[in-house]
Amino acid sequence: MAITVEGRTRRAEITLLYVSLAVMAIIWVLPFVSVVLSSLRSQGDLISRGVFAWPNAIRWDNFVRAWETGDFSIYFRNSLLLILIKVPLGVFLAALAAYPLAKMTFRFSVAIFVFFLLGLAVPVQVTLQPLLVMMKQLGLANSVFALIPPYIAFGLPFQIFVLRGFFRLIPSELLEAARIDGASEFGVFWRIMLPLSLPALATVFILDTLATWNEFLIALVLVSAQESRTVPIGLLQFQGEFSSQYTLLMAGIVISILPVLTIFILLQRYFISGLTSGAIKG
Amino acid sequence: MKSTARVNAVRQRTSDWYIPYLFIAPAFVCYTVFLVYPMASSLYISFFRWDGLSPEMVFVGLDNYVTIFVRDEVARLALWNNVVWTIASLVVPTGIGLAFALALNRGLRGTTLFRTVFYAPAVLPLAAVGLIWSWMYNAHFGVINIVLEGIGLARFAGNWLSGHDTALAAVFVTYVWSHVGFPMMLYLAGLQAISRDLYEAALIDGASPWQSFRHVTLPGLSETTFIVLSLAVIQALKVFDIIYTMTYGGPGRSTQVLGTWMYFQAFQYYNAGYGSAIAWVIAVIILVIATPYITRMARS
Repeated sequence: MAITVEGRTRRAEITLLYVSLAVMAIIWVLPFVSVVLSSLRSQGDLISRGVFAWPNAIRWDNFVRAWETGDFSIYFRNSLLLILIKVPLGVFLAALAAYPLAKMTFRFSVAIFVFFLLGLAVPVQVTLQPLLVMMKQLGLANSVFALIPPYIAFGLPFQIFVLRGFFRLIPSELLEAARIDGASEFGVFWRIMLPLSLPALATVFILDTLATWNEFLIALVLVSAQESRTVPIGLLQFQGEFSSQYTLLMAGIVISILPVLTIFILLQRYFISGLTSGAIKG
Repeated sequence: MKSTARVNAVRQRTSDWYIPYLFIAPAFVCYTVFLVYPMASSLYISFFRWDGLSPEMVFVGLDNYVTIFVRDEVARLALWNNVVWTIASLVVPTGIGLAFALALNRGLRGTTLFRTVFYAPAVLPLAAVGLIWSWMYNAHFGVINIVLEGIGLARFAGNWLSGHDTALAAVFVTYVWSHVGFPMMLYLAGLQAISRDLYEAALIDGASPWQSFRHVTLPGLSETTFIVLSLAVIQALKVFDIIYTMTYGGPGRSTQVLGTWMYFQAFQYYNAGYGSAIAWVIAVIILVIATPYITRMARS
């Protein structure tokens, strides 16, 4: 008797939970649905029948037109170029620094680590003006390459923290064995440490790719030439020019968020481990 | 473990003491030249009146800082908006994130799908998030007004982003949408770290679900909560992208925060010195608030 009552309350509770989660999920998906449905129809169809009617005809050419008139090929090229250069270079520098911070005893090791960690609390704004002056002096202002050094510098604190945390879990005996076999310190790092840390490196790599793709403010200040814009800056520019051509604008939004959404859905595991190891475990 | 450390220590003390510094040097140089030096340089600039371009810089001492707190009404409004925004972000996205985490920690089917849905906005460029929600708030075609009309609340429908009283709240709703996933993930990890045994022990002692939540779950999440709240404050004070893309600080100046006001001063009105002073105010507030968090990270 008691058991059936309990069973029934439990089932009611689970149903309630599912319903609330479903309602919240619908709210969370609605903005995506609204953008995608608008990007698939003609402007006339949108104006006469509204966002939520099924499109009269699917207009894939919105994407083609947005891509071409919005110069997205330029923005994609720049963002990809940044990711291809900045991410491997930045992660490599972070791994180099994280290795002794995790596995060696030396003077100032704590001070150096804290010095890097403080970067987590530095707002981008407080570096922008001098960075702009610097890049002008280097003749890099307006070039997409101006973004690489500050992006690396701002990525280092988090990456060093995560990689140091992971490196510490690698048994020192493995490194010691390689040293006894005559490996140099760099050899130990390159041939033992890095291969054993592939999961952590993959995590840092993916999170950094995402951060690089999404970065807005530094790119807004340091890069103004059309041919050097990254995807978020290009998208904003596109919005400025086509603000009343809603369907085209929505197609542009879809184009610029599709890569990150795809990466996220395919590689969720790495995102989650990165977030939690970055913020909690250490 | 200890003996290895000692062996290492001896090795380094003898001949190759410089090896760790060699490994650290490239990152150290990059970090110092492109983050720490600009930061210091910005402090220097903040004591001058300067347009950011001409060679002429006029030393004004602390005058720019006085302006922020005494003369510039917009700066004071921006600071106030930051305070309101920060307090709201301590409560709303973190609270919803905790609720989602608790709901998804029950091992129900479909958990992964829900988690993906709630976290997905967090991976988008905030500039795109801003544009997506500008569309949501569109007066004629926006989902918000369509839904309000659909549920019989048409009289509340309006142009949210162009109302002085509604714009900041409307942008904040967008912020919540994109910032719930992160605390949710951290809380899920925190919940999974609480031992099952504790709940069984509580059950045997006759604890009600509320009591076991109060005495097992909440204490078990205290470390996570500390981290979630620290990061919420840091992120809230840095807010820029969505305000810039959704309202451009308007209507009027009603949605300016220090982050956007700094940008407008330094790069639109060419008050580089004043902009740098605002940037330093943001930096000092964040550094003070983040210090306990960073100390704890350094110890781990």
